[in-house]
Amino acid sequence: MKNRFTIIPVFFLFTFFSTFNLNAQNTAPAEWATCSACHTIGKGRLVGPDLKGITETKDEAWLISFIKSSQTMVKNGDAEAVKIFDEYKIPMPDNNLTDDQIKGILAYIKNYKEAPKEEPKKEEKAVGPGESKGHEGSGSMKTHEVTYGAGNTRTVFIVFLLLFFFSLIDLGLTKIIKAKFIHYIIILTSLFIIGEIVYVEAAALGRQQGYSPDQPINFSHKVHAGQNQIDCQYCHTGINNSRHAGIPSTNVCMNCHNVVKSGALTGETEINKIYDSWENKKPIEWVQVHNLPDYVYFNHAQHVNAGKRECTECHGNVEEMDRIVQVNDLSMGWCIECHRTTKVQFEENDYYKSFVELHEKIKSGEKGVITVEDIGGTDCSACHY
Amino acid sequence: MKKYWKSTEELSEMVQQNSPVRTGEQEPEFSVEGLDEAEIKQGLKSNRRDFLKMLGFSVGFASLATSCETPVRKAIPYLTKPEEVTPGIANHYASTYFDGHDYASLVVKVREGRPIKIEGNELSSITQGGTSARIQASVLSLYDGNRQQFPLKNGEHSDYSTIDKDVKTKLGEIAAKGGKTVILSSTVISPSTKQLFEAFKEKYPGSEVVYYDAISYSAMKKANKETFGKKTLPAYHFDNAEIIVGFNCDFLGTWLSPIEFSAQYAKTRDLTNGNKKMSKHYQFESYLSLTGSNADVRYPIKPSEEKTVLLNLYNYIAGKSSMDILKAGKSPVDISKLADELMSHPSKSLIVSGTNDVSIQVLVNGINFLLANLGGTLEFERNLQIKNGCDHAFANLVNEMNEGKVDALIMYNVNPGYDYVDAEKFINGMKKTGLTVSLSSKNDETAKHANYVCPDNHYLESWNDAEPYNNLYSIAQPTIHNIFDTRQAQESLMAWAGIEGNYHDFIQKYWEENLFGKQSEYLLFTDFWNNSVQKGIFETDAETIECPLFDFDYFNRAGADFTKVKAGGDIELVLYESIAIGPGIMANNPWLQELPDPMSKAVWDNYVAVSPRFAKDKGWEQEDVVKVNASIELPILIQPGQPYGTVSIALGYGRTDCGKVGNGIGKNAFGLGETNGDLRSYSNLSATIEKTGETYPLATTQTHHDMKGREIVKETTIAEYAMNQAAGNESHKLTMDKSETMYPEYEFPGAHWGLAVDFNKCTGCNACVVGCQAENNVAVIGKEEVKNRRIMHWIRIDRYFSTETDEINSPVVSENPEVLHQPVMCQQCDNAPCENVCPVAAVLHTKEGLNAMVYNRCIGTRYCMNNCPYRVRRFNWYRYLDNDKFDYNFNDDISKMVLNPDVVVRERGVNEKCTFCVQRIQEKKLVAKDENRPLRDGEIIPACVQACPTKALTFGDTNLKGSELNKKFEDQRAYGLLEDLHTVPSVQYLTKVRNKDAGHQGEKHHS
Repeated sequence: MKNRFTIIPVFFLFTFFSTFNLNAQNTAPAEWATCSACHTIGKGRLVGPDLKGITETKDEAWLISFIKSSQTMVKNGDAEAVKIFDEYKIPMPDNNLTDDQIKGILAYIKNYKEAPKEEPKKEEKAVGPGESKGHEGSGSMKTHEVTYGAGNTRTVFIVFLLLFFFSLIDLGLTKIIKAKFIHYIIILTSLFIIGEIVYVEAAALGRQQGYSPDQPINFSHKVHAGQNQIDCQYCHTGINNSRHAGIPSTNVCMNCHNVVKSGALTGETEINKIYDSWENKKPIEWVQVHNLPDYVYFNHAQHVNAGKRECTECHGNVEEMDRIVQVNDLSMGWCIECHRTTKVQFEENDYYKSFVELHEKIKSGEKGVITVEDIGGTDCSACHY
Repeated sequence: MKKYWKSTEELSEMVQQNSPVRTGEQEPEFSVEGLDEAEIKQGLKSNRRDFLKMLGFSVGFASLATSCETPVRKAIPYLTKPEEVTPGIANHYASTYFDGHDYASLVVKVREGRPIKIEGNELSSITQGGTSARIQASVLSLYDGNRQQFPLKNGEHSDYSTIDKDVKTKLGEIAAKGGKTVILSSTVISPSTKQLFEAFKEKYPGSEVVYYDAISYSAMKKANKETFGKKTLPAYHFDNAEIIVGFNCDFLGTWLSPIEFSAQYAKTRDLTNGNKKMSKHYQFESYLSLTGSNADVRYPIKPSEEKTVLLNLYNYIAGKSSMDILKAGKSPVDISKLADELMSHPSKSLIVSGTNDVSIQVLVNGINFLLANLGGTLEFERNLQIKNGCDHAFANLVNEMNEGKVDALIMYNVNPGYDYVDAEKFINGMKKTGLTVSLSSKNDETAKHANYVCPDNHYLESWNDAEPYNNLYSIAQPTIHNIFDTRQAQESLMAWAGIEGNYHDFIQKYWEENLFGKQSEYLLFTDFWNNSVQKGIFETDAETIECPLFDFDYFNRAGADFTKVKAGGDIELVLYESIAIGPGIMANNPWLQELPDPMSKAVWDNYVAVSPRFAKDKGWEQEDVVKVNASIELPILIQPGQPYGTVSIALGYGRTDCGKVGNGIGKNAFGLGETNGDLRSYSNLSATIEKTGETYPLATTQTHHDMKGREIVKETTIAEYAMNQAAGNESHKLTMDKSETMYPEYEFPGAHWGLAVDFNKCTGCNACVVGCQAENNVAVIGKEEVKNRRIMHWIRIDRYFSTETDEINSPVVSENPEVLHQPVMCQQCDNAPCENVCPVAAVLHTKEGLNAMVYNRCIGTRYCMNNCPYRVRRFNWYRYLDNDKFDYNFNDDISKMVLNPDVVVRERGVNEKCTFCVQRIQEKKLVAKDENRPLRDGEIIPACVQACPTKALTFGDTNLKGSELNKKFEDQRAYGLLEDLHTVPSVQYLTKVRNKDAGHQGEKHHS
């Protein structure tokens, strides 16, 4: 058990090393993402202690050696280290960081200023997991669910369909209305309207913009990614190397919820569902929100790692969502639009060295920006195979 | 001038075209075979009812379409994600394939815990990254729902503890009373399993192990023992040979270690990189084998003539070396030229024979010895251990069983109830044996008669090790948890022998005790073990031994019988292993059943192959049903190249208990073989064949996808090639000079993908076809649909026969045509005829030179198919997924697990074709981007290239200067298929060069 818990954070540490550079002190250094999985600054205890003011209470040299390997210190009988370990029980994994990197983190903690608290908007509160129980919950869900052909459109469609048939029958058989041009007008108009509805609806078939289904656990990204600033990659581990971002397995939840047993919004009810899953060995069956048809190949690593896209560009401000909602329509037009306008890492990535002619065109000024389209990003076989 | 033809129908058509009156009726362009009688009659006439039906449907559909809700899709993560698994990323594990017949060192591609593709292990010095069609298909057999899914006791569902208790008690009783227990096993090359057998024998004194192979190599071992003093099979080095002579020996297809030999053989025929020398291959054979089709000079002989030819060859060489000669009749073929050539290449030639006859193998040994080939092209320092069966021991066992002398029989990986020459006798013997236990993975023809069945794991679920040659080891590791309630055979034996632990520990212990000491690289056993498992192999040097001498005294010992030649009757029958089905172990594999035979292009059946002239003389026609030896009925297939007076039948068909796919496909021909003493011979010198008057339709892919009479395959001879490297390919330059277009050409800013096919290396083995099928989720459609010319393979091997023009005009159809294999996949034309006819723009050109096929846009007009000159586009006439009409591997949840998740399963009504494995291209491009580097040459390997045992295919970027691909493209042998159409294909073929005298066939040439 213990082994597994230590390996995963260490693994992420390496991922972060390879992808980020050390930032200035007032913004969070890349390494902080690892720390933030268990610590907050001034937001209270998580798995580990709140780090607010830690630089004043503890000596820097002590902190550095503790961060590097807390368990070595505990074993060596360092009184303070033993005290912290006794209190929190969970050993802090060893961190393969340089002194400078640790100093960067400490400086960040020292200079950290809490962002002004936002007033929670009423609309968001309505779909908050805390409230979405029973009848009220399902009611609030409706506001985000797209129902196709509902209400007006369907009525209009049926009305014009009937009109179409009646005038057809009257034209050929019953002949109640004598003036034939009326029939023709009705037939043509209704055909046009029916066609229009079919076209619009068919194009939108299977698209789910605004889709926000009930999940088995009322998991709040706002709490996790927003307030606690857990990096997306802590849970969605595949994002840098796989086509699937991945939904975290229960053991990843348990990394923190071994200790965090009660949530700010829902108390113990929702977190207990994790324990249910863990103890009954039943994985949690999430409802997939962002769906693509089977004939589309989408790769997260391509966009996040190679293309340097931010998660929010497609998924919206997830850290402000209590319940996840599909912000974009994920239609092909939307994909292509981005591929036509987005600049690729043409100079930065050596992969593109083989595009000799394009490099020459940039040099000669014939081309300013290389977009995804220029290197074949709108080819059908880029996504369909 | 040479003329190419693909089938006898086409040949006769060509003959008719040349005659003044043209009688041949063209076949209708579109097949009506798919339609039923009423449909054909009715045509497309519709009536009022149809109109109302359509009306109701369209209204209903419209309202349905506007109101339907998108289904809820679940995303279920792991409970505890295994560290090594990242969903969406494949893991590769080294493993080993050995089914008692074929061996290969492999890398298994595993996605989310499911093995989905087999690839060759480049690290193995034996198979060198190559695979065969059967090994490519073996991954599908893992998901075969017709495997025995639980243990059986007297045919009833049971559990392992009950069976273990029963078996142990009974074995104990037998051992106590001094009874006889026999483990009957196919060849075992696992040193750990051999040790386990020893432990078993120790536990139950009086037990013994008998090895049995369905395809026996007993005679070779016996001959080696008699003449070289070594009861082993040598290691062959075809790559050292300049002259290769095969006698009924399909060493490129089925004989001993075909993957290894194909690679060696291709090396001697490689003419790239300025090489101007190649080996010369003679083949004497009694059916048109894959090897024979690649030979430079091929002699069709009857099985009864093989020994005479060898005796004459031996005598000629022995005579020239002033040795005693043997009594011999007149050879049907003049061998003096061949013998002179052999003698002028001392220790650089190799004679092999696949006949299970001691005297023939002795002669082969004698000739090889006289030509000083020992130590050059074959040696005994390494022994090929993959054939260990002993016909004599097995015949003895069957007799003893029938006499009631055997008390217990444990059968591991054998099926003599199907593949023994006298299967009935074996089954009767089983009934007289007190305890019969089968460890077969299926409740097959033999297992169903056993008291207990403890189903074995599939090899992809098992730990195992292998020693195909001495001191060359490889490891098999499980890549998936047991799918069914099966137990590895070795663990069953361990349970009965009272050995604690699992087989993994047992192997590890064996390796620690026996192999760890053979190396000095690793100090810790765990390091050594982990490294060996990771690489899949562990290879050490062979011990040097003295080259054995041929014991000429054997001829005196053998006496006059040695030179006796058994005369053949009116019809001589040859039994052979087909490329697809082999000995029938994987007969339930739909990929293999639908793999066209390289020669006849027939699928889903075996048949009686006869030469055109012999059939005419006997009054047989294609698809006539005949009764062979008054026992089995099979249809006739006219096969050019089959010697006159002989017929051949493939083994491995006619299974009755292998599963839903293979049951009742073809007929079992194992029983037709003769025995010579105890030795099984895979021929019958006096067969009888009676016409029954019925006909039976055969499905062949032979005449469809035809390329009527254009310059498609090009060839030349080595002499002409030496003078002019563009020999045979003169038209390429003319075409390229005239190549002009008024349309703007595409720009390819980055890579431009291309593929080169070297005819000199391609043997036509079909590994690529199955490799492609596995990678790209290509559907199996069944015999009826193949007959309707709808086979779905994305890559096919066209097989062309060729003969001199005047022979075509002669009334006798050529009996011994030359053969050329041409793999044809989508040529990814830069000026593609398919692209500009698509009304919905579902076929487009990409910036990397691919013809992208967009399935979701395709509306199935099939214009592209009609406009493709290469006939490589495939149409989904039906929904092959979840369709009970196509109950193969797309119709149940277990076998669907083999599908590649990166490739779409195509719907009904869309067109599909080869994509150059674009999913693999995209995957490697991303890897390069992630690693911030340009793509390396040869980094992207499409499935067909990966599967090829001879490296005949090269994939790469034509825009990359100095790439391996460009070296091939710049070769003067290179040409594009039908390039005069200005399709600008991205695939180039390298002209075939034959090592034959300019006028070899011209001996019969009369101007």
